[in-house]
Amino acid sequence: MTKLDPETRIPDPIELDAIEEARLRAAAGLAPIRSSTPEYAGFDQVGIPDRPPQTEREREVYSLEEGEMLINMGPQHPSTHGVMRLVVKVRGEIVVDIDPVLGYLHRGIEKLCENATYTTVLTYVDPMDYLATMHNEHAPAIAFEKLYGIRPPKRAEYIRALVVELERVSSHGLMMGFLALDMGGLTPILYAFINRDEIVDMQSAISGQRMLFNFFRVGGVNFDTNDEFLSRLGTWRGHVLKNIEMNERMITDNEIFRARTINMGTLSGADAISLGVTGPNLRASGVPFDVRKAHPYSIYHELEFDVITQQSGDSYARYLQRIAEIKQSIHLIDQIMDKMPHGPVQAQVPGIIRPKPGRAYAAIESPRGLYSVYSISDGGPNPYRFRMRDPSFISLQAMPKLMPGRLVADTMAIMASLDPVMGGVDK
Amino acid sequence: MDFELLLGLGRFVLATTLLLLLTVPTAFVVIQMEMKIIAQMNLRFGPNRIGPKGIFQSTIHGFKVLAKEDTVPDQADRSTFTLAPWMVFMAAAMSMLVIPFAPGAIAADFNIGIVYFFAVLGLSVVGLLVAGWASYNKYSLLGGLRSAAQMVSYEIPLTLSIVGAVVLAGTLSFSELIAWQLDHGWLLMWQPIGLGIFYVSSLAEVNRTPFDMVEADSELVAGPFTEYSGMRFGFFFFAEYVALFIMSAILVSLFFGGWLAPWPFPAQLGGFAGTLYGIFWFFLKTYIFVFIAVWLRATLPRVRVDQLMGMAWKVLLPLALVNLFITAIAVVVFDL
Repeated sequence: MTKLDPETRIPDPIELDAIEEARLRAAAGLAPIRSSTPEYAGFDQVGIPDRPPQTEREREVYSLEEGEMLINMGPQHPSTHGVMRLVVKVRGEIVVDIDPVLGYLHRGIEKLCENATYTTVLTYVDPMDYLATMHNEHAPAIAFEKLYGIRPPKRAEYIRALVVELERVSSHGLMMGFLALDMGGLTPILYAFINRDEIVDMQSAISGQRMLFNFFRVGGVNFDTNDEFLSRLGTWRGHVLKNIEMNERMITDNEIFRARTINMGTLSGADAISLGVTGPNLRASGVPFDVRKAHPYSIYHELEFDVITQQSGDSYARYLQRIAEIKQSIHLIDQIMDKMPHGPVQAQVPGIIRPKPGRAYAAIESPRGLYSVYSISDGGPNPYRFRMRDPSFISLQAMPKLMPGRLVADTMAIMASLDPVMGGVDK
Repeated sequence: MDFELLLGLGRFVLATTLLLLLTVPTAFVVIQMEMKIIAQMNLRFGPNRIGPKGIFQSTIHGFKVLAKEDTVPDQADRSTFTLAPWMVFMAAAMSMLVIPFAPGAIAADFNIGIVYFFAVLGLSVVGLLVAGWASYNKYSLLGGLRSAAQMVSYEIPLTLSIVGAVVLAGTLSFSELIAWQLDHGWLLMWQPIGLGIFYVSSLAEVNRTPFDMVEADSELVAGPFTEYSGMRFGFFFFAEYVALFIMSAILVSLFFGGWLAPWPFPAQLGGFAGTLYGIFWFFLKTYIFVFIAVWLRATLPRVRVDQLMGMAWKVLLPLALVNLFITAIAVVVFDL
């Protein structure tokens, strides 16, 4: 064993790498790499990318006039709903332009799914829109059933509808809380979490997981309902409306809340349609489009419910729309529990599914809007192409339209009213 | 050097030391109240680990900030960055000098105590503005400018709202004002509009919800405090909660009879027991208003910055002027 001379300096591997890379680059005749810490550009230049603008839009956003400055909101900001970056161009406190920068949570879920078998795809889509995990699984399950040419048993369809409606109640309930939180109200979010916690307990009783359920299967669901689930559902149903009302009392008629949401971020129906905004945000602008009604899937054609719309299309309308939809969902849950048939919850499918070559498209109404899946099979055990349309991503496109002329304080309030989930936006 | 001067100096040193020492436990108590009460209102447990029922949680927080690393941003203006927390903290601590805790327990019973109080408390805006500027951060800058706009605007209705009371009582000294309230009843009954304006503006002046524009955690991260850490942040934090206590104390002194006990009890006692009696009632009333401020924080969302300014200039200022006008006429007509 050789003894190290105490004077010997052990080189840092990173440093060695850098030296080696510089040597190789010099040998290959390439320009040396730029220093990793570029010179500080100055207060006004922070946020401007250090490359020439690549699109017309980029040139517009990142050219500053006298008296304007850029604020980087995020990706580490208390209220960007995950890791999103908003480059806000302000003149004083007034927002001139806004550029949402995405991709901080990109995990390549579509590509992951293309490398997974049809059964395991359903586990990969879970963490997309993490407030509507059941919905994430619903659309691929339907698409793969179409590809494979089977239909799940009736009872499985009812259980699916039950869990997704529960999820919708919890997601919309949280939106109420987050909207208030982004305006500085501390309490509604915690009241909202009481409701969500009970729903999560229920879902954990039926699926064994609390957040990423992995509950749906191609051709059915993983488990049938059990006693714990049903008893929790009964208790929850007894006081859920009271709970929602308790939270509503904190928010709906609050003068400050109304002053900050009414006529704020108004999205007209025509604009919403041309931007492709769907779901509660679209219905709050007065367009009665609900996938459950327009293109019924699962068992929604057997259930009775209304497509509620608001007229004004502002943040307040989007908030009221969520509350109205919570009540509709609870109404749906009641019907589902009344009509729930007996029978198996899983159709007969092989362990590895190999559908015939073909294409399938399935769209569902997630709490954030139209969530759809387009899957192409080449006859192999995994999808040849798997594409997801996430409604949050589309909703965010409305931000640059809604923001100009508003104040910095409104950016977060308007964004919260659109209720995006970054896990879904970045996939 | 004569004996009188020495006595005066000694009294001054004792009073300021006691008051500076008082600020720290006051901040701890108010922060603890805030944590625990908001938790209960949110249907949470709140702090419940350190000490019985968690009552030492805020103390531990205080020591924690002492132990934290104190960082200064590279581009920050180091000298002003360091100075800003002191300016804010000293503004709060110095305004404690004129608070009338009990008969014989006022650090400095100026004949212009009310003017002194508003002058000194207004200094904290300088500290916030400096902090916002020196941090070299856009959130801090916006927060600092907001604080300047907000506090300058609200200082006017705040001061005007008590001019009515001053005209009525004919004094600018806190102890004489309380003596007047002993004879004529609490000013709450004489100046209800003034009380309303004062309460709203005082919440804005100490940056409490629903007017906490300055921090606005969901918009500006932490406003002018964004880049501060360690004890410097601690000083801002302390100053803020001490200011809340002071505003409640001044509200009590001006409109709720200060150390005077409410009706079924004897209003005040003589001697040393009287001082303790006064301190008891004074702190009780003050903490009731601290509680109300905490309650508001748990209940209300934040108003927007333009709505805030609009309220100061369009509603509170005219109302304060009308109140002053009516009071002045009443004083002349009824010879009060």
